Parts: sequence; C-alpha cells; structure tokens
Amino acid sequence: MQCDEYRELIAATPSGLSAGAAEHAAQCSACDAYRRSMQSLDQLISRALNIDIPELAMPELADIDGLSNVVSLPLRRVAAPVWLGLAASIAVVSVLAVRFLANDAVYPSLSEEIVAHLDHEPGALRVTTEAISAERLESVIGERARMDSNAGLISYARSCVINGHTVPHLVIQGESGPVTVLLLPDEMIDAAVPLEGEGIRGVILPVGNGSIAIIGERDEPLEVIEKRVVDSVQWKT
Amino acid sequence: MKTASAQAGRRKRFDRVVAVMHADMYRFATWLSRDPAIAEDVVQEAMLRAWKSLDALRDDSAAKQWLLTIVRRENARYFERKRLETVDIDNLTASQSAMLAETDDAQLDEVRKAIFRLDDDYREPLVLQVLMGYSTEEIADLMDIRQGAVLTRLHRARNKLKDVFESEELRNRD
Repeated sequence: MQCDEYRELIAATPSGLSAGAAEHAAQCSACDAYRRSMQSLDQLISRALNIDIPELAMPELADIDGLSNVVSLPLRRVAAPVWLGLAASIAVVSVLAVRFLANDAVYPSLSEEIVAHLDHEPGALRVTTEAISAERLESVIGERARMDSNAGLISYARSCVINGHTVPHLVIQGESGPVTVLLLPDEMIDAAVPLEGEGIRGVILPVGNGSIAIIGERDEPLEVIEKRVVDSVQWKT
Repeated sequence: MKTASAQAGRRKRFDRVVAVMHADMYRFATWLSRDPAIAEDVVQEAMLRAWKSLDALRDDSAAKQWLLTIVRRENARYFERKRLETVDIDNLTASQSAMLAETDDAQLDEVRKAIFRLDDDYREPLVLQVLMGYSTEEIADLMDIRQGAVLTRLHRARNKLKDVFESEELRNRD
C-alpha cells in the first residue's frame, strides 16, 4: 500500500484498520504519525459533536386504532386550501360532492380525502424489497381490475373506503420511498387533478370510466410510475 | 378499536425503542440543521411520525437507523416548507450562537465551529460516523449514496478539520 492510499483510508476511517493498512503503518513512521494525529483529531471531533442536550419535551401521542389503522391525530397532511388551488389552475373535476369517511369525517373534495387517507395507513409507509403474492393482489383488485406485472414492485395491498366505495389501495416501491396507488374505477374525471400535502405530491389521472390516484414523496419521479401503472391496469366491466 | 392493553403495549414499545433515542435524534437533527431550535421542531415531527408508523418497524434492532432516516426526511421537509436560506456564519440566530458558545477549551471551540461550517455533504457522514457510530456501509444505506462516496466525503471532511486542529495546536504551543 502506498502512503497516499493509506492516508486517504485513515482520513475516512481513522479507527478501522485493514491488515494491509496496519502493515504499512508498521513500516512507515510518517504515516503512523499521521494515523495518530487523525485519531487525536477524531477524539476532539467526538467531543465537539457531543453538544449539551436541553430538556426535551415529548409530543402528545394519541391512541392508534390498530384494527382499521385509522389514526386519531388531527389531519396534518392536507395543505389548505387544496381545492381552491385546484379550481384556480386545473380543469374542473366532474364530481364535486361531499365525501365521507367511515369515521364520519367530511371532506369537500376527492383530492382532500385521498391525501388525508394516507395518514390513516401507516403500514403503507413501509420501505421494503418484499413484494406481495399474486394471490394477495388478486384478492384485493380482482373484482374490479386486472393488473399486469409491469407496474413495479407492489409491497402492500388492501381494500379501503374512498368516497363511500371500496377501492384497492396499493403501494409500489419507488426511488425515494413507497408510492401509494389508489384504483378508483367509479370516479370518472375529465382531466388530471394534482394532489399536494406536507412532503408529498401526486395526481389523480383519468383512466377510462374511472381514475387512478398516485402519490409519493415530493422528490419521487412520479411520471415514470404513472405511465407504468396506467399501462398495466385494465378495468373489469 | 385497539384494546386498552394493546394501546399500553404499543406505548411501552414506543418508549423502549423510540423514546430512548430522543437525545440522539436531537443531536443528529441539530448537526443536520445547525440550529437547535429547528432541531427541536424536526425531532417533535419525527417522533409523531415514528409513533404513527411504529407498526411498520418490523425489527426493533433496526430502530436507530429507522429513526435517523425519519429525522433526515423531516429535516428536508422542514427546510423545503420554510424555504430557509443557507446558514450565514456571520449572522447566526440566537439558537445557533448558543450552539457555538465558547467553552474553556479554545481548541474544542474552533473544531466545533469548523464542523459547523462544513458543507452538509461532508458534515452529515462525519456526524453519522463519529457521533452515531455507523460504519461507512451503514452510512451509505442511510444517505442512499455509494460507499465510495461516503469514504470520499469523510476523508475530505477530516482534511478540512485537520488544518484547523493543527493551527490551534501551534497556537497553544506558542
């Protein structure tokens, strides 16, 4: 091992020594002195980083309903007023009715209900490389849609209620994290409707006589997933 | 509805796995944001998110990495929401000044300021390695970058700090 290579390694990991690095240090007094200097520096860095901690308050933690995964915290994700922003800049959504959740919360629009729904499904936020089985997917979507395997890695599937309809709620693993896909075969819209929430963004896309909502982390390149999902879904009539 | 005992069990798990990490989460958030006041807000949000998503944590031994990932994301969301400017080292807030308050050890003070001035890309892996004890492979996973990039950033971070360390040593000898 050369001195330059040794010093780069030591500067990156002062405490970790491979056999080759240890051998070089034993033979090169200058590099050994460099190692000791870096280790002294690291002790100082460690002390510098250990800042005093003030008294930290724990936030109030409301009970969670584990059976339905409904979170009883106040809705935090909806950026108000989403529906005003939509009306100002996007084509008119064909359905503008009052929406109800199973727990009687009221939303003025489909988009608000969809964004709020994400707060009720903490299990859908899981980052994983495990796909659900084909049987599981079929049991959730089988009555209303077909989906081929090109949509991506589907890691979550359950039936949820949106606007009084039972719909498939799926999660596809994206580049930045889990991407929620809601298949809405009963929600016909004229044009795409953007979705916004804290740290998330998405869209409801018109697909035949229904629509599909796709929401991910703000930095997720959703357009790629949108195309794959729309191309992979066929409604069953 | 979850039974009272199930809720209590969940809360115990949270206390055992998450609440014990409160101080580490705060220190990490402070060095990410370079502002203790912001760090408190970020950690509060991270705690709430961890509470809501606790069932998604399958392996308690992975809790620390899971929580620090949540803190990273909350920090990024905070800065995105507030559209904060980058830190102006000559115009610190009261809370940032408190973080860099002088101690009896001038060398420690200078190294702390030098760490504060490091770019985010260099400061974060250094904090994860030295303060949180992560390996370069674990840091690469957490930051979603290659291990080679982690090694390069650590090496550059330390070389920047080494100059400060050595000049302080010379001053102390004089």
